[in-house]
Amino acid sequence: MAVSIDFDSSHLLFPAIVTALLLCLLLALIFRHHRSKASESAPEPAPQQTLKKPVDKVRLLGTLILTLIYFVSMERIGLLFPNIGLGFLLSSIPFVLLLSLLYMHDRTRKRVLVAVINAVLCPLAVWAILSVLFNISLP
Amino acid sequence: MEFLSELTPLFFLLAMSGTLVGIVFGAIPGMTATMAVAVCLPLTYSLGLVNGLALLLGLYVGGISGGLVPAILLNIPGTPSSITTTFDGYPMAQRGEGERALKIAIFASIFGGLFSLVILYLFAPALADFAIRFSYVEKFLIIFLALTVMAALSGSMLVGVFSGVLGMLVSLIGAYDISNGGNGEYRLMFGFMEEYLDGGFSLLPVLVGVFGMATILLEAERGVVEDGSLSRVKISKDKPFKISIFKNQGVNLLRSASIGTFVGLLPGVGGSAASVLSYSQEKAFSKNPEKLGKGAPSGVIASESANNGLTGGALIPLLSLGIPGDSTTAILIGAFTLQGVQVGPLFIGDNPGTWNLMIIAMLVANITMFVIMFYAIRHIVRLVSVPKHLLFPVILMMCVVGAYTINYGIMFDVWTLLIFGLVGYAFHKIGLEIAPFIIGFILGPSAEIYFVKSLESYGTLSIFFTKSWIAIFLWILIAMSITFSIALARQQAKKSKP
Repeated sequence: MAVSIDFDSSHLLFPAIVTALLLCLLLALIFRHHRSKASESAPEPAPQQTLKKPVDKVRLLGTLILTLIYFVSMERIGLLFPNIGLGFLLSSIPFVLLLSLLYMHDRTRKRVLVAVINAVLCPLAVWAILSVLFNISLP
Repeated sequence: MEFLSELTPLFFLLAMSGTLVGIVFGAIPGMTATMAVAVCLPLTYSLGLVNGLALLLGLYVGGISGGLVPAILLNIPGTPSSITTTFDGYPMAQRGEGERALKIAIFASIFGGLFSLVILYLFAPALADFAIRFSYVEKFLIIFLALTVMAALSGSMLVGVFSGVLGMLVSLIGAYDISNGGNGEYRLMFGFMEEYLDGGFSLLPVLVGVFGMATILLEAERGVVEDGSLSRVKISKDKPFKISIFKNQGVNLLRSASIGTFVGLLPGVGGSAASVLSYSQEKAFSKNPEKLGKGAPSGVIASESANNGLTGGALIPLLSLGIPGDSTTAILIGAFTLQGVQVGPLFIGDNPGTWNLMIIAMLVANITMFVIMFYAIRHIVRLVSVPKHLLFPVILMMCVVGAYTINYGIMFDVWTLLIFGLVGYAFHKIGLEIAPFIIGFILGPSAEIYFVKSLESYGTLSIFFTKSWIAIFLWILIAMSITFSIALARQQAKKSKP
């Protein structure tokens, strides 16, 4: 079982083995899936998550879109005011507020006010502790 | 005894406050100990290794313990590991024995925690001493063994192996690390990615993504339903708690704590497996198995001593071999990396002070957990009722902070968080398993180095069988674990057929 390894191409050896193994496992999974479909008498129990629960598309997509805007704006604002963590602070406050409002079910005046206070204080506290006090770099 | 000088008030304060925050995290359904540790990791930056570990270990112990509160009062496991606590804890609460059930669970928890701590203290240095003698060949076989064990205990063996190997493949993206003897060439990516992925995906953003971000996406999909019931629930105490309930539970306690510790030792197998296994053992050995599931204290004891037994157990492979025992200890690797300390067989010998302080932190965390939960359980229940719409956005923000700060400010790490948040979400949707994926991801680069370097040095594949008696012993263990997993899969297949 002698093996000789060329150093110049040694970076490809292990990934090739792992990829091959992964493909074999994928084939096995597909095969098993088809077999269990064929014998419909004993269907595989559906994973818990896919049990028919209504998907809240607004909150799910809203989270993703807000997160995307958050990351992009954090970087942009951070470039305008480099090294003081303002990108983080100025983008986190609206992000936390909007996400809170998105997740809130019963938007009463009091609850919105609490959310606003939360959205201002939490990012401010994190920014003050990490960036100002401990000098840890934030975007 | 030099380490005693590091036992400052701050050390104790961090361990205790970590435990308190952990309990709150654990008690909020959908939030886990893993998430608590991930979110607080950036705070350890400026605390130093010892104080940082005190905080994180407190979070770990608290996070695992807090799950029992909603499990008993609301029939919702606060963390996956307290799932079996609902089986008997909730019926007890419904019978008006809420406080009794909580206190039984708290006693069982501290027993499990302390038991596993003793095992950790005795066993980890011995295992590390043994592992120092390993060459690359044995180290590769250890990782191989870890992967087979993990697969054997996954929900489905094939899915577990697939997830683990996928994690390995993802970890290999980037350059073949020169500092470990690689040739520095890129693989598994396109040219334009070189700028970002030179060192591959960083561990912490990946972890925070699959555990933190993905959890929030799943919650968002379910509509972020507020469960205000915990704040309204009353802790009934029709039947007072008496310590005498544990009179005939010695065997159960010991067996369950041992199972928890042992399961903790196995990489990638989480607390839910520990409590399910010990619960089923209690059912098998109980004199009155028909009472279990209907509010039997022994069921609560089995479940809670096992999931706390996990805490010490999961630290054993981390501190002696560098292999995390569960997802939370995987994040602890991040804390060591932050401080430039490598965990592996040399850790305990080279850092006896840190090792002893970790044990003390765990001890403090366990005692704090007990005191807080036993005497202040009512106030904890109130703390837990922080609305999710306020909490989740802040958690997401903390995930970003963690991802960004881990490598001293790289924006790509924040994007990694989003990418792996989506990966974690997709895993849930298609039924892949996250824990094996993460263990594969962590062990992949080492597995590559050990495998390729062994072949480069010896030039033959047979070296993996002939290197030493340890190698042969490891192969026997690997064969046993594969046989066990096949037997288990067959048994399950038989059960599922009518």
